[in-house]
Amino acid sequence: MWTYEKRLQFPVNIKNPDPAIAKFIISQVGGPDGELAASQRYLHQRYSMPYDEAKAALTDIGSEELNHLEMVSAIIHQLTRGMTEEEIKRAGMEAYFVDHTAGVYPQAAAGFPFDALSFAVKGDPLTDLHEDMAAEQKARTTYDNIIRMVDDPDVLEPIRFLREREIVHFQRFGETLENIKDKMNSKNFYAINPAFDMKK
Amino acid sequence: MNEKIMLLRKIQQLHFMMIEAGLFLDNQNRCCEALADFEKYKKLYLEAKAEYEKCYGPLSYEGVNGKCEDWSWVQGPWPWEGEC
Repeated sequence: MWTYEKRLQFPVNIKNPDPAIAKFIISQVGGPDGELAASQRYLHQRYSMPYDEAKAALTDIGSEELNHLEMVSAIIHQLTRGMTEEEIKRAGMEAYFVDHTAGVYPQAAAGFPFDALSFAVKGDPLTDLHEDMAAEQKARTTYDNIIRMVDDPDVLEPIRFLREREIVHFQRFGETLENIKDKMNSKNFYAINPAFDMKK
Repeated sequence: MNEKIMLLRKIQQLHFMMIEAGLFLDNQNRCCEALADFEKYKKLYLEAKAEYEKCYGPLSYEGVNGKCEDWSWVQGPWPWEGEC
């Protein structure tokens, strides 16, 4: 079970609202490689994972992704706080404003809402862990692209922290993958699906 | 029901009492009776949690005994497996 801690994992204090950049940073809230997808991907993959080390890694990284979802949502909130009608129009944010005012809705930069189709739960440890490693790289690329578009150091600092966590998680999932391979048939890792074929 | 499960049930009940008092207090935040309830159950919960973690392993990172040779956090069964 989860409990809430009343703090962010890394501080977010943005002095100058800027709805124009919120329009694309929101992809890391509800986009295909965003933090909501990341958290749900790992927390749902846990149930079919047959190895304790991998259950721990998916639980811990999935939980950390919830911290990141909160951080990136805080960024959107602070970038859109106190907007005037004029600023909304200048930022080209009318379409979002009409549906959500200045609320934080999980959607991609292109405007489509969060979709569980952006992640998979295949029920096969090798398949799922390969997806997880790819997912971390995709999120890292997204943060790279955001960094190219942003100048404000108040925004860049937490975004750089989040980017770094993608790299660390990629590394940890790589170790998890090696760890579970050690428990499988080294002549043919694909001989069986240990989540389905090995009954206790 | 063994002692471990009995202690876990106690923790679940005590923490649930904290949640119930807390949800009530979110909107009635000056209610002395509810505040007293929250304090009472918080104390009992923390005691029960400390006892459980000492005997049966961590419920959260804070409960890990880093002096052990192993990272006890990974040891199953995990909550969704129905044995705890």
